[in-house]
Amino acid sequence: MRTKTIAMPRAVADWVPPEWVTSRGVRYGIVGVAAILLLVYPLLSDDRYYQNMIILSLVFAVGATGLNIITGYGGYVSLGQGAFIGLGGYTAAILSTKVGGNPFVWVPAAGVVAGLFAALLGMIAMRARGHTFVILTIVFLFLLQIVSINWRVLTNGTAGLTTPLPTWSVDIANWPFYYALLGLLVLSIAMSWWIRRSKFGMGLVAIREDEDKAETVGVNTPVYKILGFVASTVFVGMAGAVYGYYLSFVDPLGMFNILLSVQIILSVLLGGRGTLWGPVLGAFIVEPLNEFANNSLGGGNVRLLVFGGLMALVVLFMPRGIVPAITEFIEGRRTRGRAGLVGERLGAAIELKKRDVPLARPAISAQMLLEVKNVSKRFGGLQAVDGASFGVPQASITALIGPNGSGKTTLFNLIDGTMSLDRGEVWFDGRQIDRMKPWNRAHAGIGRTFQITRLFREMTVLENVVAPVREFKLRQLGADAVSGHEAERAEQLLDFVGMLKYRDARASALSYGQQKLVELAQVLMLDPKLILLDEPAGGINPTLIERMGEVIKELNSRGKTFLIVEHNMPFVLGLCDPVRVLGRGQLMAQGTPLEIQKDPRVLDAYLGEDFAVEEEPVKA
Amino acid sequence: MSAILSLKGVVAGYGGGDVLQGVDLELEENSVACIVGPNGAGKSTVLRSISGLLDPRLGAIALDGQRINGRAPAEILAMGISQVPQSNGLFPNLTVKDNVLMGAYIRRRDKAFLHRRYDELAEFFEVLAERGQEKAGNLSGGQRRMVEFARSLMMEPKVVLLDEPSLGLDPKALRMVHESVKRMVERGRSIVLVEQNVRFGLKLADHGIVMESGRVLLDGKAQDVLKNPEMAALYFGGTVKEQLPQVPAVPA
Repeated sequence: MRTKTIAMPRAVADWVPPEWVTSRGVRYGIVGVAAILLLVYPLLSDDRYYQNMIILSLVFAVGATGLNIITGYGGYVSLGQGAFIGLGGYTAAILSTKVGGNPFVWVPAAGVVAGLFAALLGMIAMRARGHTFVILTIVFLFLLQIVSINWRVLTNGTAGLTTPLPTWSVDIANWPFYYALLGLLVLSIAMSWWIRRSKFGMGLVAIREDEDKAETVGVNTPVYKILGFVASTVFVGMAGAVYGYYLSFVDPLGMFNILLSVQIILSVLLGGRGTLWGPVLGAFIVEPLNEFANNSLGGGNVRLLVFGGLMALVVLFMPRGIVPAITEFIEGRRTRGRAGLVGERLGAAIELKKRDVPLARPAISAQMLLEVKNVSKRFGGLQAVDGASFGVPQASITALIGPNGSGKTTLFNLIDGTMSLDRGEVWFDGRQIDRMKPWNRAHAGIGRTFQITRLFREMTVLENVVAPVREFKLRQLGADAVSGHEAERAEQLLDFVGMLKYRDARASALSYGQQKLVELAQVLMLDPKLILLDEPAGGINPTLIERMGEVIKELNSRGKTFLIVEHNMPFVLGLCDPVRVLGRGQLMAQGTPLEIQKDPRVLDAYLGEDFAVEEEPVKA
Repeated sequence: MSAILSLKGVVAGYGGGDVLQGVDLELEENSVACIVGPNGAGKSTVLRSISGLLDPRLGAIALDGQRINGRAPAEILAMGISQVPQSNGLFPNLTVKDNVLMGAYIRRRDKAFLHRRYDELAEFFEVLAERGQEKAGNLSGGQRRMVEFARSLMMEPKVVLLDEPSLGLDPKALRMVHESVKRMVERGRSIVLVEQNVRFGLKLADHGIVMESGRVLLDGKAQDVLKNPEMAALYFGGTVKEQLPQVPAVPA
């Protein structure tokens, strides 16, 4: 996309923010001052109007911080977030009127109920993606509203429930609500912060960036999404309980109003989704605006115009929200005129290892690590794979070649589980795997790179390399996203592919060839038994291709098996044995590189009649 | 021969500092220039600066002596520079013909022009004549690349920018690309291409440019660049080949 230049006064355009503007101290300072102001405000002022405004803002801030976990980190937009405020409000109101006790006592119960409902909704809705998911969350909201209208015994229908009156002094009437919500906001932010820097949060971001790819690097996506959904609602349910008590009255239209959801989403988008503080900032802008519209602009539905206008402004001028817009602006100013990260002379870094003795190639056993048996896949009118059968011997570097459109990449998709096959079987390591989920295949030992690279674009290079998950364990979710041990291993791998310098760059900032190299490091991190490489040499500098051949041989000598799709013939013929040739979705020929080069069918369909290797193959 | 395209001291980046750190280049009219170099050297950034997708911070880019940097991409296209992106630039659900016509979107109301241009291109590219009404998604990799080429020629550009035209193509399709580029030059276009397939790119080019770390390291005749032992050792892989690879045969 073209970089937009916005006209602004010279002084602003040339302003370079000093170092301290983005220092930690300043950031903590802003947050600290805001926190202290919120903490002492009730002591300083008795103005009920502003206290009320802050209390409502706090409710929305908790809601937005929660929503940010599933929407900002996980990429799933939910319009049902307001329903969890209602669920919490009703839970506390019902329990305190039917069972007794102060509604505050039932706040934790409200959190549990919200979490349970989220898990239930998650199990159903998380099967869908995109628009379908959004619609399911709206359905959930309206369903709860209808239930609360009709289950009169429990909810008293449209008449609603009145909570017990507060027992404390009128002078401090708002204080308990105010501080309870402030406490819940602190807890929400702490949880959000913790999730973002844990393996769990990294998995959610991976899902947001590319869900299919996340599955192939071993992320058990349903579990991550459902847990993410529960995490995004528990504190919201608790805040809803306090909110209901504060209103002293809960009814279906107020508690399950879709505008609550809309206001929460708007807060997240305005402040900056995926950021820690953005949703809080957004809530504290949107709610006062809402009050202002109600009181000074004539009330009624004027606030809807305000919401709509604000939404339009955000989309037009700050598509990523306030917080990212500010950080990007400062970062852009700061780096103006400085040298950006560019590829270096490859010389020293790329020096191939001099070996006295060539690497021993492990004996290729007759045993097959991977077997594709009579596999077929059809897309509409196109039979992409048509009864293909071949094997990949244990500890071999097997090539899969064939013309464009002969079904090579589709076969990769069927082997790693990105697509399901129509007919046939896939066996790996003595197990039939063709019905297994992609993440289970990854855990079993299949790693794969993509022809068109699929890195998690918003993550840094280092985060991309540590994102793969080798096995699924619940307790591992809480581990640090990037542990010291992992970072060390990831850095070794990045060094291996010559990309260590780009460690902290965002993946989207890399060129195509660089992304391919990072993806190779990423799949090696998974430490698979079988590595599927889809055109590893495409778009890579020739010197690096040699280096890659060296890397592949080195890994192979330690027992790794490779299946490589590639059009670079010198690379394939010098590196791979055996070679499988695919044509029109079927195995057309197979054999040693020498046999393949002379096979008239292969020459005719793929290499061209006058084919001759023009360069020496990569030396073994 | 005169320079049709020239870059002087171009400095450009993506907001995180400058990637290009002062690039000077000249492209002779009716010739092919090939830019090679390590991954991340700034090759694609040069193309983006020329086509206006990226606005250089400093320096000047001129087409036929007319300054083009600072203009919008559509304006630059109208002046005679079109770019073929790195890969997969087609709309898979549109027909081949509609994809090609997209290349003249800025003149979309001029139906007579669109049809005349399409028919001219269909004589040049067989795939347009044979599979014009099929969805682009059904074509093979080599055919798609031909459609992308045809699209870039809709506006009768003076200069065509090709970003890794060999990427992902099988050996037969590669010949088709080679042949088409040669024929585009015969018909008066000037071409700048970026290639990692160094031998393929330099063999096709008149003029070779090696970039490194956002700067031009070496600039000369393509054959000389290919034979330069230092460059070969650093970037081309393997040892220097005295004999250039044979020119591929014309596809049947």
